[in-house]
Amino acid sequence: MKRVLSGVLVAAFMLVSVVMFSQTAQADEGKIVGTISKLVISADKKSATVVLKDIKSGEDLTVLITDDLTLDKFNDKRIVEGDEIRCKYEKDGGKNSSKMFKKTAGC
Amino acid sequence: MIKKIVFFTFAVSFAGVCYGQAAEHPGKEYILKNGYQGPKTCEVCHPGKAKEFIGTVHWTHASKVDNVDNVKPNEVYGMKNRNYTMCNGNDIVNNLKEVPANDKGKTKFSGCNSCHPGDHASDVGSTGPAAEAAIDCLLCHSVKYDFSKRKPMKRNDGVVIIGQDRSVEAAANLGRPSNKTCMTCHEAAGGGVYVKRGFEMTAAADAHAAKKMVCIDCHVVKNHRIPTGFDPNNWAHDGLRLSCVGSCHTEKPHKDAQIDNHSSKIACQTCHIPKTGGATAKDFTVWTKLDNGFYEPSTLKKEVNETTPIYAWYNQTVANRPDFIGPKGSRIDGKSKIYPFKVFQGKAYYNKKTGELLSMDFAPPSSTGDTLAGVASAAKILGIKEYEPVPGWQTIYFSSNHQVAPKKRALSCANCHAPNGILNFKELGYSNEEIKNLTNPELYFQRLLKKQIEEE
Repeated sequence: MKRVLSGVLVAAFMLVSVVMFSQTAQADEGKIVGTISKLVISADKKSATVVLKDIKSGEDLTVLITDDLTLDKFNDKRIVEGDEIRCKYEKDGGKNSSKMFKKTAGC
Repeated sequence: MIKKIVFFTFAVSFAGVCYGQAAEHPGKEYILKNGYQGPKTCEVCHPGKAKEFIGTVHWTHASKVDNVDNVKPNEVYGMKNRNYTMCNGNDIVNNLKEVPANDKGKTKFSGCNSCHPGDHASDVGSTGPAAEAAIDCLLCHSVKYDFSKRKPMKRNDGVVIIGQDRSVEAAANLGRPSNKTCMTCHEAAGGGVYVKRGFEMTAAADAHAAKKMVCIDCHVVKNHRIPTGFDPNNWAHDGLRLSCVGSCHTEKPHKDAQIDNHSSKIACQTCHIPKTGGATAKDFTVWTKLDNGFYEPSTLKKEVNETTPIYAWYNQTVANRPDFIGPKGSRIDGKSKIYPFKVFQGKAYYNKKTGELLSMDFAPPSSTGDTLAGVASAAKILGIKEYEPVPGWQTIYFSSNHQVAPKKRALSCANCHAPNGILNFKELGYSNEEIKNLTNPELYFQRLLKKQIEEE
């Protein structure tokens, strides 16, 4: 009986751990399609903070951009406020760090 | 000694020229003094360049084609008028226009020719003084171009035009076109960033870019004509061709004769471009509704470096049928090599009466999702009266010519010669006996073992 009980407990512990772990993993990543409502490039031009207004919910999300390719697009205004963006980001120490930042438009 | 002096003098002069080019355009003072009036200003020092440019594919979006099946030799083909299932339209049926309002009341400008370097009032293939005056020279030649000015808008008379940055700031800061210059338009083809071609020219993704090379280091421009390769999907060309072997690489570029021996049958790209990306399939018959209320063709997308190519013999001539656009060639024609291709499959409407692929005007389905309304609008524009739309698939092979992997990520012996290798030798025309030899570990075992020991 003890064996069965401990087996059940171990299984339950493992299940809870797996569920918690996957929730943590899921919570660390996000994606959004939104319109840029605010774009601020840092003084040293090595990062930018962008506020995206979620097309679906209307909620604002602030994303930190550090990749050179996207920063260059901000600098020469290939990406500007009002553009619609598809973004994937990672929650990193309280910040949402962009992992992919693309205009939805194409030809 | 004389040799050394000559070399030193040459090196100093060359460095001076390069520095001069990077530092300042000789016409800067003139522009600052006189302002910038578009190509007219450029022509003060570069006479004839505007006329020259409007004869190139960047302006005409089409050229005569001589390596593709089922085309007419005296007609021109390209983005201007072609129809295939990556785009299912062209500059004619998808001329830049304002899309009707969607159910959220939103509208937008959209069209294949939105990247054309004119102002749209002077559009694809236009000629004459107005066309020459409309060229957006600074789009490619300025390093301080403000791209926010280059957007479609409606003129007072209702004509849709594309804005240009003709500021003195942009005109006074000229420089050599960079990767960004080219990618601004070329990365967004096919309906979004990296959708059609699926490669990026960054140091992380491409060995040439990692060496700080730019597009025009390989695509060496001659009088505004751009050399291009032989992508089966990409027909229009400026009459100049390009390949790895020639000015940059030799037929025997490796320090190893055994590897060099491959180059008579295997294209450089096969080993050196092991991955690509972008869309792998699209359905133009059923569009997907987006959260912004617009619809877009349903598309299976991959990021750069996520698509594994298929390999085929290619002699740089192209099969072109309603169900297939791809490489022709074989192992016995004496002209073909094995090349890598991204395989793309697109579903669209065909005309049951003729078997031909029908074009689609994207404006109606963009706002309502009604794809048959898009076919009807395109048929009206093209003057097609008799048609019966039926869905069908087309397969297209896209050459993998960019995103050259660093040496470490290039294919090695076992990638092809192991029994589970990436080359389908049977499909490539080899007999069972030949395949047995081609997949014999004797071919590579000692070489790879030695390499493994060196790396451990």
